[in-house]
Amino acid sequence: MIRLIVNGREESWDAAPGDTLLDVLRREGWVGVKKGCGAGDCGACTVLLNGRAVNACLVLAARAEGAEVVTIEGLSRDGTLHPVQEAFLETGAVQCGYCTPGMVLSAVALLAENARPTEDEIREAVAGNLCRCTGYVKQVEAIERAAARLRGER
Amino acid sequence: MSLTHVERIVRPASVREAWEARMRAPEATRFLAGGVDLVLYAPPSVTTLVDLAGLGLGAIRPDGQDLVIGATATLSEALASDLVRAAAGGFLGDVLRRVASPLQRNVATVGGAAVRAHPWSDVVPALLVLDAELEAFDGNEVRVPLAGAGALGRDVFPLVTAIRIPAAWLGARAAFEKFARSGFDVATLNCACAVRLEKGICREARVAVGGTPGLARRLPDAEAALCGGKLTADRIAAAADAAARTIDARDDRRASAAYRRRLAAVGVRRCLTALGTEERSRR
Repeated sequence: MIRLIVNGREESWDAAPGDTLLDVLRREGWVGVKKGCGAGDCGACTVLLNGRAVNACLVLAARAEGAEVVTIEGLSRDGTLHPVQEAFLETGAVQCGYCTPGMVLSAVALLAENARPTEDEIREAVAGNLCRCTGYVKQVEAIERAAARLRGER
Repeated sequence: MSLTHVERIVRPASVREAWEARMRAPEATRFLAGGVDLVLYAPPSVTTLVDLAGLGLGAIRPDGQDLVIGATATLSEALASDLVRAAAGGFLGDVLRRVASPLQRNVATVGGAAVRAHPWSDVVPALLVLDAELEAFDGNEVRVPLAGAGALGRDVFPLVTAIRIPAAWLGARAAFEKFARSGFDVATLNCACAVRLEKGICREARVAVGGTPGLARRLPDAEAALCGGKLTADRIAAAADAAARTIDARDDRRASAAYRRRLAAVGVRRCLTALGTEERSRR
C-alpha cells in the first residue's frame, strides 16, 4: 500500500514492492503517463514528483510514498488548459502526440524555476524527452511562447 | 518495468541497521538510493531492498577545507549546490550538466553513480581526478579512495554514505571531455584531467579515461608526462600519446579499439589545452 497525492487528490493504492510509479499510475487510470522505452531514455512517462520532472519508469512506486505527483491530466483547471498546453496547440508542437505529455511536464517544471529561459536552457530541459515527429523546433517555440504568457507578456 | 522479484523494502532507522539488513542476505539484498540502476539492472536474485531515503545522507557540506557530498544527494541537487558548482573552478558542475538527462538527474544519486561505476560513467573519471574518497560503513566507519584497487563496481561493497573531495584538488584546475552520440547518451569514451600548478609549473596531474569500454581509471604515464614544467604543446602531446597508448582499449558495439585510442588522445589534448589556455589567461 502506498499513500500519495495525485493531481491534488489523496490516494491509497495497492502496490507491490517492485512496482514502478509508471505501472501504478497507469493501472490506476492515469494513462496520460505514456509507457515508451521503460528505460529512462524517451521521457514519455515524465511526471512531476514533488515538483521535479522525473521518468516514472525509473522510480519505484514505494519512493513516491507521501509525495505529490502531477500527471498531464492534472495541469488543466476547470476545463482550461495550462498555458504550456495552450502554447503547444497554438504553435503546432504536436504531431503523433505520444511524447507530448512528457514534453509539456518537463516544460512546466522548467518554467516553475526559470521564468525567462534561453533557447539553450529550454533544449536542455527537454533533452530527456524524445520526439520522433517534429524535430523539436515547434516545441521550443511553444515553450518560449508559454514562458512569455506566464510572464504576462502575450 | 516492475521488479517482480522484489518482495520487500526495508526502511532502516540508522546506517548500522541498513548495513545489517544487507548483510543478512548479501546476494539477495541491495541498497536503494535513487533506484535508477536497480530498476534497470537488478538481477532476479534480488528480493529485498534497503531504502536509504530516511537516513539523512543527502547533505552537501564543507568539512574543514574538504567538500563532502552526501551519497543520496541527487545529481540535480549536487548541480544546484554552489559548493559543487564551484569545485575545481567549475569543473564538477560542468561534468554533472553532461550526465544523463535532467529527468534522470532528478532521481539518480551521486553515491549511486560512484558506486555502481558503470564503464561509461561520467561521474567516475571526474571524481578520480579530484582524488575523491568514499566515506562508507562496513560495521565500522571507513574511508576508501575511489581509485583504490577493487573499490569500484563490486556488488557487495561497504554502504557508501558520502563522497569526500579533498581540499588539495578542490582548488585545482580541471577539464572534462565526453564523446557521445547525443547530449545525454552514454559516453563512447570520456576523459577528465586535473592539474595543480605553481607559478605555471605543473606539480601534480591527474588524467583519467573511461568508457574504453572498461571502467574509468587513472593513467600514470600520461600524468607523469605533464609534471615538472609548463603545460606546453609538447607536454600536452606527450600526455595525449601516453593516454592513447595506455588505455585498455577494446572493440564493442559503440566503437573500435583503434577509434577509442584516437578519441583518448583527442580528449586528453582538448582538456589539457583548455587548462593551459585558462592558465595563460589568468596570468
